[in-house]
Amino acid sequence: MKIQRLLLALLPVILCGQGLDPKTISLFKLPQETWPTYNGDYSGRRFSDLTQINQQNVDMLKIDWIYHISSVGPQRGVGTPTIKSTPLLVNGILYFTIPDHVFAISARTGEQLWQYDFEDKGGHLVGQRGVAMYGNWLYFLSPDGWFISLNAKDGKERWRKKIADEKLQYFTTIAPLIVKNHVIVGVGGDAMDVRGYLESRDPETGDVQWKWWSEPLKMGDPGSETWPNQSAMDHGGGMTWLPGTYDPELNMLYWGTGNANPVFAGQGRLGSNLYTASIVALNADTGKMAWYFQASPHDTHDWDNVETPVLFDATIDGKPRKLLAQAGRCGWFFVLDRTNGKSIVSKPFSGTGNWAKGVDAKGQPIPDPDKEPKVDGSMIDMPAMGATNWPPPSYDPQTELFYVNGTEGYGVAYLYDTSANPEGYGGGGGGNFDSRSALFALDIRTGNVKWKHEHSGGGPGGGGGMSGGIMTTAGHLLFTGDSGNLVAFDPANGKILWHQQMMSGVSNGPSSYMLDGKQYIIVGAGDSLYALTLAGKH
Amino acid sequence: MSRFRTPILFASLLLCLTTAMQLSAQEPDGMAPAGGGRGGRGGGRGGRGGGGAGGTREFLGLGPAPDAAAAKKGDPLYKQNCSTCHGDNARGSQGPDLTRSVVVLHDEKDEEIGPVIKSGRPSAGMPAFPQLSADDIHNISQFLKMQVELAANRGTYGSTYGDLRNKVTGDPAAGAAFFKTNCVSCHSATGDLAKIGSKFQQAAQLQSRFLWPTTPGPTKATVTTASGEKISGNLVKNDDFIVSLRDASGEFHEWPKDKVKVEAEDKMQGHRALLAKYSNADIHNMTAYLVTLK
Repeated sequence: MKIQRLLLALLPVILCGQGLDPKTISLFKLPQETWPTYNGDYSGRRFSDLTQINQQNVDMLKIDWIYHISSVGPQRGVGTPTIKSTPLLVNGILYFTIPDHVFAISARTGEQLWQYDFEDKGGHLVGQRGVAMYGNWLYFLSPDGWFISLNAKDGKERWRKKIADEKLQYFTTIAPLIVKNHVIVGVGGDAMDVRGYLESRDPETGDVQWKWWSEPLKMGDPGSETWPNQSAMDHGGGMTWLPGTYDPELNMLYWGTGNANPVFAGQGRLGSNLYTASIVALNADTGKMAWYFQASPHDTHDWDNVETPVLFDATIDGKPRKLLAQAGRCGWFFVLDRTNGKSIVSKPFSGTGNWAKGVDAKGQPIPDPDKEPKVDGSMIDMPAMGATNWPPPSYDPQTELFYVNGTEGYGVAYLYDTSANPEGYGGGGGGNFDSRSALFALDIRTGNVKWKHEHSGGGPGGGGGMSGGIMTTAGHLLFTGDSGNLVAFDPANGKILWHQQMMSGVSNGPSSYMLDGKQYIIVGAGDSLYALTLAGKH
Repeated sequence: MSRFRTPILFASLLLCLTTAMQLSAQEPDGMAPAGGGRGGRGGGRGGRGGGGAGGTREFLGLGPAPDAAAAKKGDPLYKQNCSTCHGDNARGSQGPDLTRSVVVLHDEKDEEIGPVIKSGRPSAGMPAFPQLSADDIHNISQFLKMQVELAANRGTYGSTYGDLRNKVTGDPAAGAAFFKTNCVSCHSATGDLAKIGSKFQQAAQLQSRFLWPTTPGPTKATVTTASGEKISGNLVKNDDFIVSLRDASGEFHEWPKDKVKVEAEDKMQGHRALLAKYSNADIHNMTAYLVTLK
């Protein structure tokens, strides 16, 4: 014992106190008493091995405590605070965020330990996905591009570094991702045609270790042939605003990039516009790109392709494969070999994918120019907001199905700025015609919809629908939001097994952990965080 | 969970909240305004800031609005002194694009723009403009900020592109033929749709309206309970867990969804069926026809 203690004392500071050893985060294994990063593990599967709560007893699931954000009023431009972050759980303490604010609360009681408040000078308050933790330090992004490190013990600020310029209309909402001694941070912003990038920062100093740009830096570089000129490339968008995933064995980061800019007016950027609206695989130590797959080439519909690239291993045609799957905002489901980006499945899950004429040799959709925004409108069988968005999907290794909340319907896109050099959005999407919200269960080998839970529609005024992200568990449960309820589905067939009305729609990705022998389900709904446990487990 | 004891209040509040939730789930950065029949009056996500140019500006964090009067005064000054190099709308020519300029975007009170105009940038070939007064510089600066505003603040698009959104390119005769084949079983050009062409400011609004009417009125439904009793009325709510309606006498009824059978009329059936059939030409022709009904 003494020797062990001595050894512990000699180990780096990150192992002391209430800290989180980055080694706690692994590809597929979620520690029972920890939720150490936005997606839980590096895979982004959001699958929990826990089985205490299962199909046999889920009807006993009850709200244990509620933490209501009472200290923050309506937020600029967005109103009532909404929890979109997935809380980290480390040593019995939950760390979660809303724009401009970080909260540390007891995971056992929901009582607040500390709160960190930031006063922004711009940027969007549209969302905040959460903090990352490395040793005793937390990392948080303010809306206006400050990368801030806090002491997890008391929420006191250690330092801050400016990583994005809000006056150029960048904004920052991401939960950073810790990989070895790297803090990976991405940026958002598409009001004013800026260049996307992803950075690796030093956890101790906050300094840049590497920076990857979403577009080639200069004409002549690989990929620049997909842009007409330097200026279009310099203002081409491709934001990196949602946490990606990581394969430690391959040492590869997988990240989605946002839509190209100007958003709806593509006439000034003819070409496929690499590497916007893509999935990219980057070396975690250098930021060097290993491969890319473009989901929405020459995007003109605001289809960010930042949705989580989920990693899993499965057998295809009798062979074990390292795979990556993504349900994109463009309405297509993609399964790739994550070692090389080669396509296995490319198939629409929302509508018929009629904005594309088919797929190219790489499996990438080929956009149909007739479906691009027009002055008098151009309709596609996709809702104006796209088929899905940031709320986390899930992959369940027990069913080998990929789950995503999405929308079907029709939308019309208009071109406004008809000049040769449009700027800003340059157009707009309109209409959510016959919009239908649904939970999709997708077969990873064929892309076929195995089952679909279509929402009833809410009533004459619409409303409700599927909401928030998805978590699957080894207890054969799928948790997500539906009609203002937290709902447990049977992941095998979409049957509703249990539901609990919340005071607002589920607004984040649910998570789970064990504490004192009790399994908790944690979920954010509007301005409140809920903890649920089995009744009688007190 | 005892905070809400009144089911109706809870239900309606929940509907509001979940509706808002749907909006917030649609980020980022959603739609330029306009589109769905809103004519660009700050719809989309910017609309949550209160709508219009001001609300979208607040949501985007664009800072103070440009001074429109100063920008107007700056327009001729800009044209006279700057447009040869920087282009008519400041998006660049042989000189740099100024609406994407870091100097312009960082400027708050002419402290960035002023010195550049006053002293020029000799190394980059830009001459000095010592003859321009502080007022002139301020007005030019506001003109530039107005150009930024018109591109970056999509809450302004509705008014900027109002004429464009009223542009009709289709063939009214082909639209009339389409109408006759597909719409007359429910609608009449001289009955319910008489003068429809004069009811919308923009053709694009009318287009969205016929594609998917957003206010079709109450939906009638009949609920059959476990005991076989049938209750009819106007639907209040019909989500995955609750169905509620108000009967002819105004009485409110509510059931757990899984305990009853719900038969609701589908007022949108015809419109729904057509969505899958339209070509872009059909849509534009229909719009061209409907705008003639005045």
